[in-house]
Amino acid sequence: MDEKTRDDLLKLFQSKLNEAMRFYLETCSRCGTCTEACHAYQSMGQVRYISAYRHEIVRRIYKKYFKGQGKAFPAWGESKELTEMALQELSEAAYSCTGCRRCMVYCPHGIDTQMLMSIAKLLLVGSGTEPEILSMLADTSVEKGKSLELYKEGFLTGIKNLEAQVVEKWKGEAGRTPIPVDVEGADLLYVALAGAHSIIPAAAIFNAAGENWTLSFFEAVNFGAFVGDPTRTKLILERIINEARRLKVKEVCICECGTAFRVMKQQSGKQPFTVSSITEVHARYLREGRIRVDKNKSKETITYHDPCQMARNGGVIDEPRYILNQLTSRFIDMTDDVRYNWCCGGGGGLVALGEDTLDFRLKSVSVKVDQVKKTGAKILTTACENCHTQLSDLNDHYQMGVEVKFLSSLVADALIH
Amino acid sequence: MKTIYYLILVPMVYLAFLVFIVGTIAKLAKIFGSPKNPSSTLQIYPQKNPPWFWALADSFLMPSVRRHKPLHWVFLMAFHIALLLLIIGHLELFEGFNVFQFIPHELFLGKGFVGLVLSLTLLFFLFRRFASPVRDLSIPEDYYLLILLFLTVLFGAQMDWARRWYSYGELGPGDYKTYLTSLLYFKPQVPGAVYNTGHSFMLVLHVFFANLFILLFPFSKIMHSFLTIPMNKLRRG
Repeated sequence: MDEKTRDDLLKLFQSKLNEAMRFYLETCSRCGTCTEACHAYQSMGQVRYISAYRHEIVRRIYKKYFKGQGKAFPAWGESKELTEMALQELSEAAYSCTGCRRCMVYCPHGIDTQMLMSIAKLLLVGSGTEPEILSMLADTSVEKGKSLELYKEGFLTGIKNLEAQVVEKWKGEAGRTPIPVDVEGADLLYVALAGAHSIIPAAAIFNAAGENWTLSFFEAVNFGAFVGDPTRTKLILERIINEARRLKVKEVCICECGTAFRVMKQQSGKQPFTVSSITEVHARYLREGRIRVDKNKSKETITYHDPCQMARNGGVIDEPRYILNQLTSRFIDMTDDVRYNWCCGGGGGLVALGEDTLDFRLKSVSVKVDQVKKTGAKILTTACENCHTQLSDLNDHYQMGVEVKFLSSLVADALIH
Repeated sequence: MKTIYYLILVPMVYLAFLVFIVGTIAKLAKIFGSPKNPSSTLQIYPQKNPPWFWALADSFLMPSVRRHKPLHWVFLMAFHIALLLLIIGHLELFEGFNVFQFIPHELFLGKGFVGLVLSLTLLFFLFRRFASPVRDLSIPEDYYLLILLFLTVLFGAQMDWARRWYSYGELGPGDYKTYLTSLLYFKPQVPGAVYNTGHSFMLVLHVFFANLFILLFPFSKIMHSFLTIPMNKLRRG
């Protein structure tokens, strides 16, 4: 690695050194309490998946360039030069971590591994060695924000084609558009994913609740966050913020996507609107009696997988349970403490990387498979696109014998007219 | 030899404390002066109120370690409690520091057992690093600090043991008090007993290793003493 490249990368490293990051870099006592926290270590037994081991890969570079000991006494902390090989190590550490933050629950100091891995991801972006597909997806999202007019017509045509399916699920008032788009003064802006499954059930439920809503032009998912690039994360986020401000909505509702929800909720700053997940909105409709559901629609036992970014990291814990208890009397909770719920193994961009990560994704979460099987449930529901894809892959591979469903689909299917 | 003893007992102590104070303040200023994280929260849910209370509980009682590594937790708690008692014991060596004498006790607290507990817990921490997977996580700093602390504690505690358990009386708290209090008032005075008794060597080694530990403090993971509470506060919201 030439000196200029290294200097540029170290500038990127420096840009990540906020107060919390310095806490996390300075404090680890390598006590090993986090050993069993990571699903990958617990499933595969390899030391490189222990959180503290991952931290140290980043921390050694920090010690080399940002602490006196790196120059005065490098052996003290095994500080390490930033080289091509170090980048490879960073890549392996970062892209085997789903950012579930289960290890943060274990750590006596509360070190956030996801934050430390964000340094690794940014260095990979800076050196052009990040996963290409994630970078391309992030660029596409940014581009869509810049030149919406190019996409608008195709988007509106696509949405028009879905309207019949929405009406099939819920026949709204005559004259009302089943999927309203670009409605200024709407109360709620719904930000979906690029896929009918993310729009149809949600639209049916909004219409059933009589919500004054509008659909966002943009997809919720933030590939900038997956690839670990703060600049693109912000640009992708700002598309939605600007749209919400332009339409003067009171609430932005994020579809079933854990990362999208967490980024929007926790990184959008002070805004004239609130941010909710669709699960919270559905629970609210049920509590307020704005929608009613048939409790006997599903005869099967149902369990729920808490998406890490929604539950442990986003605080949406009671709402899905409330919804499920309205939907069925056969709900079996997977965990008695969501802080310790196992990650599905698909977060951090791993699912978006598709076949490239499939083998690892399947091997690294046998603990999750055991957890699901233990419930004996026939329907496995969740409220996150990544989790849904990953759980479906696990279901096929391990023959778990469950039907994997989105929570919003269960609600839409059980709507009572 | 007397000159070497003096260098360790006086100038090196001042140097160690100077580096400790300046280094720690500089390090904390750098950390707390850095920009805040852009996310509105870094907490883990569900939230328990009040968060500051649970952050203190996490920091001082280490419930996650108790849950996942109960044996390690027993040793960690024993170590930290003993360390606290030992610090109090050393503070009481300053003339006039009698706050903890509301329960009358002889110097040091614990009748020699505090030092014993510290020595044993440090050995436990050291030996557990010899076994995988903690061995794979460990770096030289972890071993250096444990060995340094163990040597400091062992030489210090053995003087206490000799006095408490074997009636050794040539060097005792009276001499330590004179010496430490004089350092505090920048009028260094080393009593003759410190130079000339059978335990002089032990005392000098104790002070030497303690000086090294204090010197390294701001540059090591021991900074967790200051950072664990704010970190747990971040986790608790």
